[in-house]
Parts: sequence; C-alpha cells; structure tokens
Amino acid sequence: MTWQLTTLDPRTKLIIVLCLSSLAVFCQNIYLLLLVLLLTLIVVKLTGGELGQLFSKFKKFIKVFLAVIVIQSIFTNEGQVLLQVMQIKLLTDVGLLRGLQTVLRFLIVIAAAVVMTTANSRDIIQGLIQWKVPYELAFMVTIAIRFLPLLQEEATDTLTALQLRGVNLKKIPILKRLRTYSYLLMPLLTSVLIKARDLSVAMEMRAFRAYPQRTSLRELHFARIDYFVIVLSMLLFQLLLWAALVLS
Amino acid sequence: MSLPIEVKDLSFQYEEGAAKILRHLDLSVAKGEIVGIVGLSGIGKSTLCFCLSGIIPHVYGGIMEGEVLLNGQSSRELSLPTIATTLGLVFQNPDHQLFAFNVEDELAFGPENLCVPRAEIARRIEEVLAIVGMQDYRHANPQQLSGGQRQLIAVAAVLCLQPEILIFDEAMSQIDAEGRAKLKAVMLRLKDQGKTMVMIDHDLDNLQIADRVLVLKEGRLFPYTGSLS
Repeated sequence: MTWQLTTLDPRTKLIIVLCLSSLAVFCQNIYLLLLVLLLTLIVVKLTGGELGQLFSKFKKFIKVFLAVIVIQSIFTNEGQVLLQVMQIKLLTDVGLLRGLQTVLRFLIVIAAAVVMTTANSRDIIQGLIQWKVPYELAFMVTIAIRFLPLLQEEATDTLTALQLRGVNLKKIPILKRLRTYSYLLMPLLTSVLIKARDLSVAMEMRAFRAYPQRTSLRELHFARIDYFVIVLSMLLFQLLLWAALVLS
Repeated sequence: MSLPIEVKDLSFQYEEGAAKILRHLDLSVAKGEIVGIVGLSGIGKSTLCFCLSGIIPHVYGGIMEGEVLLNGQSSRELSLPTIATTLGLVFQNPDHQLFAFNVEDELAFGPENLCVPRAEIARRIEEVLAIVGMQDYRHANPQQLSGGQRQLIAVAAVLCLQPEILIFDEAMSQIDAEGRAKLKAVMLRLKDQGKTMVMIDHDLDNLQIADRVLVLKEGRLFPYTGSLS
C-alpha cells in the first residue's frame, strides 16, 4: 500500500470529509480539536492537496478569526479579564478559549473542503448519483459548478463596461454606489435568464428526463484502498467521538 | 412515403393580439436535402426553427396554427424526447448548449438520457468525434476550445442521438472563417450519409452548401432570387 491517496474514489473522500467536519462540530476540547486539525492537514497532504495554498487561505481569514475571539470575549460574561478598554471586556480567558474553539472548527472545515477539491467534479457528481442522490439534484450541482465562473466573468465584463463609460465605483458615495450596482445587476440577471432558458431548451432537445432512469457512461468502483481508508476513518471517527464525550 | 419535414399552412403569434410572425407558411424538405433559409434579423427565423423542432408548442407558448410533420407525424403529438431522436437542433451560441466538464461527458449526455447501454454510448462517441474531426479532444474541457471547435462539439452532441434531421439555427454566426469552413465540411459529410438538413442564417455566404435557398419574409417562404427584401 502506498501512502499517496490521490486516486481515492471521490465517495471515500466525501466520507473522510464528513467524519472530519462532524468531529469539528462535536469536539469541545481544544487539544482534541488541534488533533483533528492535524489529522485533516495530513489527509490534505496525502490526497494531493496543496498545503501552501491552504495556509495562504488561512491567512486571509486572520482578521475574521481575531474578530471571532473578541466577539466571544465581549459576549461571554465569564472568566478572567485579560484586556479591557473602558468598561468593555475585549479579551477574557473563557472568551479566548471559545474563540479558539470556533477558529479551529473553521480551519478544520476549510481544510476538509480542500480534500474535496482534489477530486474531479464530474466524479463527485457520479459518486452522488451512485449513492442514489436523484440525478436532477446532482445535475443542478454540475450546472452550478460549471456556470459560476462564467457568471463571475460576465459580472467583471459588465463592471468593466460601466467603468469604460466613466463610472468610477471607488469614488462614488456609498448610496449612489448601491444604485450603480443595479446597473450591474440588471444586465447580469437578463443574461442569466436567457442562458437558463437556452440551456433548458438545449437539454430538452437532448432528451433530458426522457425516462425515469438513465444509463451512465462512467461508473465508479471502490478499490481495496478505499475500503481500508473508509474503515480506518470510521474507527478513528468513533475513537475521537468517544474521547470528545469523555473530555466534555 | 412521408417526407422528413413537411410544414402545412403554419401560422404563429406569440400572444393573442400580437402580429403573426409566421403566416400560412409551407415547406417540404426531401431526405438528404440541405435547405437554406435566409432572412433579415427579427423576421422570425428562430421562431420557424422552434416550430420545426417542436420547441413550439412544447416549450414556448403562443398561438400555433397549421401542422409541422416530422416523418409524417405531427410535432404536436410527439414528445420532445421522441423528437430529439428524430431531429437534432444546433443553436447559435455553443456556450448555451454545452454544460459538461469534458467533451466525452457532453456527448454521452443525450444517449445516457435515452438509456443507451454504456458500450454503445462509447461507440457512438468515437464515431461522431471522427465525423466532426475532433478525436483528439475527447477528454478536453469544452470551455477551453475555440468557438468553432465548441460548435463542432455541439454538433457532435446532437449527432450522438442519431437524428435523421438536423437544424442549424444561425450555427455559424459566432464562429470564425476557419470554424465555418470546418462546419460546412462536416455538413457535407452528413449529407453524404443521408441526413436531412435545414440551415437558418442571416448571412447568405453561410448557405453556399445548400441545395436550395429560401427567403423568409412577411412570415412566408419564397425561393431566393437575389434579394432578401
């Protein structure tokens, strides 16, 4: 067995992500959360995820994390005050602990999501279909993944068109800016509706939902390594869940 | 024997009181024939296309009179999935008809919907990619192809359903000269295979390969005599 798990079935990756995210929710103990985060980072590395990219993602959230710690401190009327400005408790030990718990949970969920990015989107959809998720639902996910970047591109184009007409959003007062955004939204909305209509006609003309069932060119198969990883994940999940219950 | 396409006294208006876009229009297309339909913008070319392909009355509402017969059967009585196995429609914008992450999945979509077995789907994909000359792009992302290549994939996706009739609704309007030349070559290859085609366009240059060209004006079709108006 190799320790490189890049070829894992997307369903196996989905199970791992479910286990890790559930642990992030159930665990209260800070050391246990740290252990789950460490496990998640190991999984990211083994499944071929980029740890460097992940850490740069973490960096983007630093301000949010600090805000979470302060908010937890302000709204927690317990513990020893570590930092106070006038009458406002900006940092307490209990607030700090709860803030850290929340931050660690965020980090675990973000890192776990990276595991899914190592799987091919089409394979994820196929995995969902083979798990008996209705095809229409899985197809909606496909369309969303496929068209979201195009919409983003279109929004950027419309914004550029506005700027070429002399509109400088950065220099406009906030209220006027909000009104200007309506000029951005209208063409975008129209274009989305036209695209959706054309797409639905194109799909109908290719026999979409002709029958209640459909065949599939692709088929995913679990390999031995998948079974091993699933069993290991479930065992670790149960062990850590038991530890979380004991330590709470 | 019934013709692949027969339109009898077709009239259409989008809503009560609105002007009739199509007025008592007649059209017959023989097997293996390429018919070009040209007309000015906004004259009703796409509406005619929707009527021929059953999108009107099955998807879009409006008041439709007369008959569109596909191999002798009225389009009103056929369901869209049934029509899809008889008639393939290629739209103007390939971006609005391609939605899969790679070419193979795009081509498989139609046959999968019709419960075609896996081995047969794979065979059809190979066959249609050879027809449109895109064998090397089987695993490519359609979004990373040129406009012309995307339109060829859209044609291949339709061909995977093995329709006898193909309708091209301004399919060449968004592609460059090279892409247009490739698409025309594919159409001629399909004609050799006995496919019946209707090409709708506003640019006469795109209709050079048609056996005959008709002009749509005032809601009716007339033989082209050198003028669109």
